[in-house]
Amino acid sequence: MKRSILTIVALTTLITLVLAACCPEPVVTTEKVVETQVVTEKEEVVVTKEVQVEVPATMEDVEIVLWTKEGEADGGLQFVQALADAYTAEHPNITFEVVNKDVETLREDFLTAGLAGSMPDLLWTVNDHAGPFTDAELIMAVDDMFDLSLYVDSALAAAELGGKTWGVPISNGNHLMLLYNKDLVETPPTNTEELITMGKELTTGDQYGLVFNQTEPFWLVPWLGGFGGAVFADDGTTPTLNTPEMIATLQFLYDIKYTDTIVPPESDYDGADTLFKEGKAAMIINGDWSLGGYKDALGDKLGVARIPMVVGGEWPHPYTSGTYFMLPEGLEGAKLEAVKGFVKYATNANNQALMIAKLNRLPALKAALDDPLIANDPILKGSADQMVVGTPMPTVSEMRCNWDAMKPEMQAVLANTKSPEDAAAAMQTAAETCIANLE
Amino acid sequence: MEFLTLDVILNSLGEVGSTVLYILVGTLLLEIIVYFLWRPLEIFSGLVDRVLKPMGDPVRHGLSTLLLVGVLVFTVASVSVGVEQSPPPWAPYWPLAIVAFLVGAFISPTAPKIFHWQLRLPYMLFAPALVGLLVLVIYPLLWELNVSFTNLNPKHFKAPDFVGLKNYIDVFTTPVLKQVTFFPVFLRTILWTVINVAFHVTGGMALALLLNRKLKLKGLYRTLLVFPWAIPQPVACLAWRGEFHFEYGFVNILLQRIGLPAIQWMTTPFWNFAAMCITNIWLGIPFMMVILLGGLQSIAGEYYEAAEIDGASGWQQFWNVTIPLLQPILTPAIILGTVWTFTNFNVPFFINQNELETSDTLVTALFRSAFQYFNLGDAAAFAFVNFGILLIFAILYIRVTGGLKGATE
Amino acid sequence: MTATTSSQRRKPNALQRFFKSGREDSPFKRIVIHAVLIICCIIAVYPVLRVFSVSIRPGDRLLSTSLAIIPKDATFEAYKTVLIDKEFPVWLWNSIAITGSTAIVGVILAASSAYAFSRWKFPGRGPSLVFLLSTQMLPAPMMMVPIYILATKLGLTQTYRGLVIAYSVTSVPFSIWILKGYYDTIPHDLEEAALIDGVSRLSAFWRIILPLSTPALAIVFLFSFMTAWNDYLLARVMIASERSLWTWVLGVRDFQSQFQTQWGLFSAASILVSIPVMALFLYSSKWLISGLTLGSVKG
Repeated sequence: MKRSILTIVALTTLITLVLAACCPEPVVTTEKVVETQVVTEKEEVVVTKEVQVEVPATMEDVEIVLWTKEGEADGGLQFVQALADAYTAEHPNITFEVVNKDVETLREDFLTAGLAGSMPDLLWTVNDHAGPFTDAELIMAVDDMFDLSLYVDSALAAAELGGKTWGVPISNGNHLMLLYNKDLVETPPTNTEELITMGKELTTGDQYGLVFNQTEPFWLVPWLGGFGGAVFADDGTTPTLNTPEMIATLQFLYDIKYTDTIVPPESDYDGADTLFKEGKAAMIINGDWSLGGYKDALGDKLGVARIPMVVGGEWPHPYTSGTYFMLPEGLEGAKLEAVKGFVKYATNANNQALMIAKLNRLPALKAALDDPLIANDPILKGSADQMVVGTPMPTVSEMRCNWDAMKPEMQAVLANTKSPEDAAAAMQTAAETCIANLE
Repeated sequence: MEFLTLDVILNSLGEVGSTVLYILVGTLLLEIIVYFLWRPLEIFSGLVDRVLKPMGDPVRHGLSTLLLVGVLVFTVASVSVGVEQSPPPWAPYWPLAIVAFLVGAFISPTAPKIFHWQLRLPYMLFAPALVGLLVLVIYPLLWELNVSFTNLNPKHFKAPDFVGLKNYIDVFTTPVLKQVTFFPVFLRTILWTVINVAFHVTGGMALALLLNRKLKLKGLYRTLLVFPWAIPQPVACLAWRGEFHFEYGFVNILLQRIGLPAIQWMTTPFWNFAAMCITNIWLGIPFMMVILLGGLQSIAGEYYEAAEIDGASGWQQFWNVTIPLLQPILTPAIILGTVWTFTNFNVPFFINQNELETSDTLVTALFRSAFQYFNLGDAAAFAFVNFGILLIFAILYIRVTGGLKGATE
Repeated sequence: MTATTSSQRRKPNALQRFFKSGREDSPFKRIVIHAVLIICCIIAVYPVLRVFSVSIRPGDRLLSTSLAIIPKDATFEAYKTVLIDKEFPVWLWNSIAITGSTAIVGVILAASSAYAFSRWKFPGRGPSLVFLLSTQMLPAPMMMVPIYILATKLGLTQTYRGLVIAYSVTSVPFSIWILKGYYDTIPHDLEEAALIDGVSRLSAFWRIILPLSTPALAIVFLFSFMTAWNDYLLARVMIASERSLWTWVLGVRDFQSQFQTQWGLFSAASILVSIPVMALFLYSSKWLISGLTLGSVKG
């Protein structure tokens, strides 16, 4: 225990030194010692840190309107509010208005607000919002405002467009992985052959070997990566959906449903989720946001592993993204300073550690990756292991066209109303039409 | 986090109360202004009329129309759309537009007819509602009209370009979203409306007939049967969506218990459309039932007695007594039902969980186009085509049923 | 109005007998009617019961393989959470306050305008009526963005004021049509008599017509209330960023996020919200029925 405290203190000091050196702060005055308790499953780790309190150049009252996509279901909103409250406690002149909007609503409302000229002051959102927001020129590039070398590369890559970075990463991940019920599965399969064999053994009566959300293409893209395909060509905006790799992927999904019958006949997100929670599914492919709920439902029986490798192909590459701070255009003066200060605070090592513990998410700060919390928690370790083979989710606005093109075709193949070849061709035409319409 | 304390209640009561007060006071003020303005306007308009009489009516009508149309075009074109769009070069001339409007209004031969002393009351009474509607409906309408002539979307956001009628042409020629074009969606919407209204009326009529008699527990039946209408629509839609779930929904469970195979409601176009119809029929029958029941109850029994004496069979009684006497209620109910079904958003949107394009009606397609891609230029044009269709329907309906008759009856 | 008849009296078959609203129904017929009605009631109520069962099922499990309405591990935890831990009572109160004032303002605006349309033939009357009808046909999503822009310019967002104004105005067209239809059935003689006695037009309206039209006013109140109560789009546009002002519609959507939904809380809130609506509706159903027909059939 002593060792971990020392590591953390050392890290923090290092970070603050680096921060102080690289970024010219307006005024750095007092130093405070803040004691925080980070509670994990296994042990209570008391973290004592030295935090440099940055006092903004002006002491004027600033209210920051923060729109966040975090909801209450997984504790995200509470976490954001806690961060805001903690920051206000240290900087009483800066108050926050935290507004929660779900992902789609946030995008629509931000664009609408852009039209009306009444944007919020800070966004906490997902990476693919950067596409439409940069098209409309409503957010600012963050390369010059923050030290981005502190953050994990894959997290930064997912927010990069046109050579600039448009968001400061908060958490990394949002990726799919293989979750399994240890009561039914002793060792998870490592490749698709094993997956199918195990799945067949486990599919009996009303129990299924594998479940996943069969309606969203988000669950298709890992397999596409496993077969060596990608949705965009190298230029990042031309769709490549009518490829042998896509056909192979669709065929694979068709097979596990109709030929090998290890998945249910019709299953959306809630269906898969319910089956797994009720113990009627041995394995599920789901994302890091669901970890909390499954931990509650299955406790120690929850296991995490990589999505099995495609025989003759690669490890599947689920899309990784995460959550990001985005700064609306037009921020200036005291407000901009306040926002910058908060962003740095929210992504410092202390708060990243808190986030790991409370939200089961992987951090975006490089320094926090070594946190023993991750190494000691098999769930988080598995999650990190999967993320290593993930690929950053494209954030261009054309990506939406891809999603919308893939969705009905994928469903048609899984409903046995279209052949994989026809589906892939249809996907390509739909995506091309859609992208043409974006102009 | 706020909790419902007395403070909060009083606070909101205060705000809401003050709003109502402001509106009422504003209404009153407006009405007083209109009332007292009328006489001077009448005198003025009479003067103008006498002076301009030699010009002849057609000339005056023509001039007036020209001026007013010009003002309209000016207004539409001045509503700026983009955030960074500089106001159009003609914007500073808005005082000119006001003058043109006044001139155009008073030149017209109908002006003295409007500013008649006798008519100050109706205009005064209608003025507040008119002002409210002008602000809340006209401005958005003009804005949308303007947008429909531009290419406003995320890539042309702050300063969209004028593209003329391109969006309107696109409505009919290019796919709305991915693959489906306008006419299939339009036809599907008509099919959707016809099926639903037909079932609503038949089902409502049947239930109303059953309840229109001395029956034990009639009140209880009526109460229970009205559940679908009283439940908020989104909740009902989500409930039904759950019931159409392949594994867990009771529809499939029932089907399987009677030996039929389970249906994939969410992924098959035909069955998804059927699911939408079933849900909406469930939602809409109670409304029809209530209306028709009320109508049936007000048909005096003498008519039936007279018919029976004349030897009419039950069926004939139904067609020749019940239906005609029900007509004044049936017609508005059907029309209302048609309009509401046509523009129904909740049911097609929520039941169509997998966003099958084949299940979209005009309204849902519009919504997706507008908000998923924020393609506002295209969406606005689409919305206006939609609106135009409904407007033609409305005008035809009014012609056919003489809905405007009233004051002279 | 007498019915046209056929000369012969044919023996009515079963179906015809069924639909005849007779006074002397055979006991068999009564049983059949009761049976049919009971089946219809079950169909009407069952989906609602399923929502109820989700709300008492622990663990946010939307779906379940059992058809039981009351699951084995039923709990009212969700209701407790919604009522105590969440701001649900605030949302409910907001809805009541906003919707109530909307209905009041709507009635006032509509009552006076409808009278104008009913009693006078003024230039522009026809087109105005068509205009009112056509506002019912505008797809609401289309208006959201410009209304937001307008509201922002006028400073009406994130306030009760803006939403009340918006709701009142949008319910006016439909209300005017209904009230106008109702006024049309009140004979002019009543006002004529009053005018002869020297009473002013407005006074006649206030003292004679309005009291007579209480049923229609009640209907307009109810329709305005119900439309505003369930509305999502306008509320989202106007007050979505001010959590303390949320109506129940916005609040309940809060239980949903991108991939997950707190189904337990969502269903519990849905059931709770339906109760006042149903109570209001049931209380007023008498008025609704008689009112809707008072304007048309003169039996």
